[in-house]
Amino acid sequence: MKTSITSTIEKLPTLPKWLRLRYFAWLLGIGAFVGACIYLRFSPQALVEGIPNMVKFVRQLFPPDVSVLPSLLKPAMDTVLMAAVATVIAATLSLPLAVLAAGNTGMPRVLRMGSRFGVEVVRVVPDVVLALVFITAVGLGPFPGTLAMAIHSIGMLGKLYREAMEEIDPGPPEAVAAVGATRLQVVRFAVLPAVLPSLVGDTLYRFDINVRSSIIIGFVGAGGIGYRLIVAMRLFKYRELLMILMVVFAIIWLTEKGSDRLRKMIIAEPLLR
Amino acid sequence: MLTVSKLSKVLPDGKPLLKEVSFEVGEGEMVGILGLSGVGKTVLLRCLNRLTEPDGGDVFLKYNGTVLDVAGWRDRELREIRRHFAMVFQSFNLVGRLTALENVLVGRLGCMSTLKGIVGRFSEEDKDAALSYLERLGVGHIAHRRAETLSGGEQQRVAFARARFQGCHVLLADEPVANLDPRTADEVMMQLAEITEAGGICTLAVMHQPDLVRKYCQRVLGIKDGVVVYDGKADLSDEDLDYIYDRKAADASKVA
Ligand SMILES: Nc1ncnc2c1ncn2[C@@H]1O[C@H](COP(=O)(O)OP(=O)(O)O)[C@@H](O)[C@H]1O
Ligand SMILES: [Mg+2]
Repeated sequence: MKTSITSTIEKLPTLPKWLRLRYFAWLLGIGAFVGACIYLRFSPQALVEGIPNMVKFVRQLFPPDVSVLPSLLKPAMDTVLMAAVATVIAATLSLPLAVLAAGNTGMPRVLRMGSRFGVEVVRVVPDVVLALVFITAVGLGPFPGTLAMAIHSIGMLGKLYREAMEEIDPGPPEAVAAVGATRLQVVRFAVLPAVLPSLVGDTLYRFDINVRSSIIIGFVGAGGIGYRLIVAMRLFKYRELLMILMVVFAIIWLTEKGSDRLRKMIIAEPLLR
Repeated sequence: MLTVSKLSKVLPDGKPLLKEVSFEVGEGEMVGILGLSGVGKTVLLRCLNRLTEPDGGDVFLKYNGTVLDVAGWRDRELREIRRHFAMVFQSFNLVGRLTALENVLVGRLGCMSTLKGIVGRFSEEDKDAALSYLERLGVGHIAHRRAETLSGGEQQRVAFARARFQGCHVLLADEPVANLDPRTADEVMMQLAEITEAGGICTLAVMHQPDLVRKYCQRVLGIKDGVVVYDGKADLSDEDLDYIYDRKAADASKVA
């Protein structure tokens, strides 16, 4: 029985032999791409012919209806809060799952396989689909949307965290194990310090994505500014729509700037002791 | 006293690397290990604290009237055993994002409960003690710098301080001066000798510098083809070195 912390070297997948015929593969790939475009009825002509309609639409957007701005603040805040809460929940649950799943933390095989499988499964379902499912269960509102994003984010963060852990230099964890530390102590003192910057980066990047997701999720009635956007669109209130879009851009821009600052601050901070 | 008897290790490809290696190291004694690169010196050290599992043989550690049998244990007992063996790795293996002081504190994890260790609450006494070890090695001023920002010599001393703080009975140093300039190498060897003597520690140091070995080690093990071919005084003659390093053969083949 192995008790030392050693990395297992997984066999890398290699290309099947017939794909190694490089030129043939290139031709096949390009052919498939062109075929797919034709199948999807790509038509530059339709795009050009549609330009006048587009111009007409854009004209109707102006000027933005500033009077609705006060009523947009709460939905805007909801959107950001939903993304933030979902990200916090996901990060909190992903961390222990990733520690269990990583091949270099010396966890029992059953737990490793189990957590890996769990993360794989929740990643498969897109968050909008999850939101629809939860809405049928608990009704409209920000709660089902947040839950959906949280669960989908576990699938993404759990995998990213695990990969970050598996990529670290095996030396320091081995050195900590060599003083007689337990597996969890090795994780705390050698694995986590090494992955902290990437964990913070992954998490804040996930927050940026969740801000966008929570707008889309609002389309289906799961809270936030997305719902206002889809309603304005359906009722042809184009000037209100532009105001909403401006708020959406502001949210995305500001949260992205904010998470960038936060990441730099956290990474510069010395670790707790 | 560290007693190693008939230790063997076979490589995964079936080639025997260590063949019944036996030797002893006394308390307060520093023994240099010499041998060609790839002869298995690192593997030998790793078999002693079982970072690598040996394929046969025994390792006993006698201290304060108790005898510790290193073979066969696992989990809790293995961790208990590892507490007594400090390893100074060739590439130091400090945790880069922890400070020098925190790296030293890590040495005590083996004596702490998992929970206490994870919370990372080291007592003020522990912190003071860790700092004093750094100060004694002349690197107290870098205690609060991250390990990844330290020079090789500084990292080496932090690794020594961690070993001392661990309260080990055996110190396994893998090429402790390989990455250091001659002056720093000399200082580091002197400190290693002091640690060994003051702590009554059994020290094994893999070395490639016969001069430093003659100066600081009490004894030498020469390893060749998986067996101990020299076990004796540290003032090796040139013939001894030629034999350990197979130098005559190399010269001969150069002529041919
Ligand atoms: N984990 C391993 N798997 C396979 N071969 C190994 C492993 N560790 C060491 N070896 C081989 O054992 C031999 C001795 O290695 P080592 O002990 O590092 O030599 P050195 O005496 O230079 O320290 C080398 O040939 C090395 O390739
Ligand atoms: Mg070596």
